[in-house]
Amino acid sequence: MNDTPTLIALTEAAIDLNALQRAVTTDLDGTVVAFVGTVRGVTPGAAEPVTTRLEYEAYAAMAESKLRQVANEMREKFAGIHGIALTQRIGEMAVGEPVVAVLVSCGHRGGGAFEAARYGIDRLKQIVPVWKKETRPDGSAWVEGDYVPTRGD
Amino acid sequence: MKISLFATLRDRANARSIEIALDKPTTVAELRKIIVAQHPSLAELLPQALVAVNQEFAFDEDRVGPDNEVALFPPVSGG
Repeated sequence: MNDTPTLIALTEAAIDLNALQRAVTTDLDGTVVAFVGTVRGVTPGAAEPVTTRLEYEAYAAMAESKLRQVANEMREKFAGIHGIALTQRIGEMAVGEPVVAVLVSCGHRGGGAFEAARYGIDRLKQIVPVWKKETRPDGSAWVEGDYVPTRGD
Repeated sequence: MKISLFATLRDRANARSIEIALDKPTTVAELRKIIVAQHPSLAELLPQALVAVNQEFAFDEDRVGPDNEVALFPPVSGG
């Protein structure tokens, strides 16, 4: 049995959370933490609060390599975790659809899976070259990222 | 050499890539100047744009040459 399955995917297909959960779960695990990012339809307080859909684009080869780097960093920082799945969907997505998933399995709920999943989604949003274009009732625009990479990223 | 563009830069150039004349290796800082000179439409976006060389983030003092895979894109906004 592989005690440390790592699943990396950049895909146009819908995210199958049940399949990912099965894939990261080893016989050593009693816990799976799943972070799921979805398309938010309303952002209260924003100048134009309504989002109709999001369109995702990626620099595919580099994105896959950076997803792998995020998984490696998760393993270095959280030694107790076992399985990792990092899935970023690209293409056009409607409000409510899952766009990104980070799943981490672990023996127990206190073994670092929550922290590792949080680290994983934060890092993914910093260094994986994916961009989203937001369509609102008044038009569409690229969403601006704000993280500037430094050496080692 | 070919430089791949993504997101705002692709839209601004209205192309997935641009060609620049570069026959010998230089620095990333110099490459930015060459891009502005040869593709002025990208000048406004270039100061904030990130450069990747061989699928790694590259910085001003890094070397880049005609044989490298080079991409230009805005700070990422995935997830």
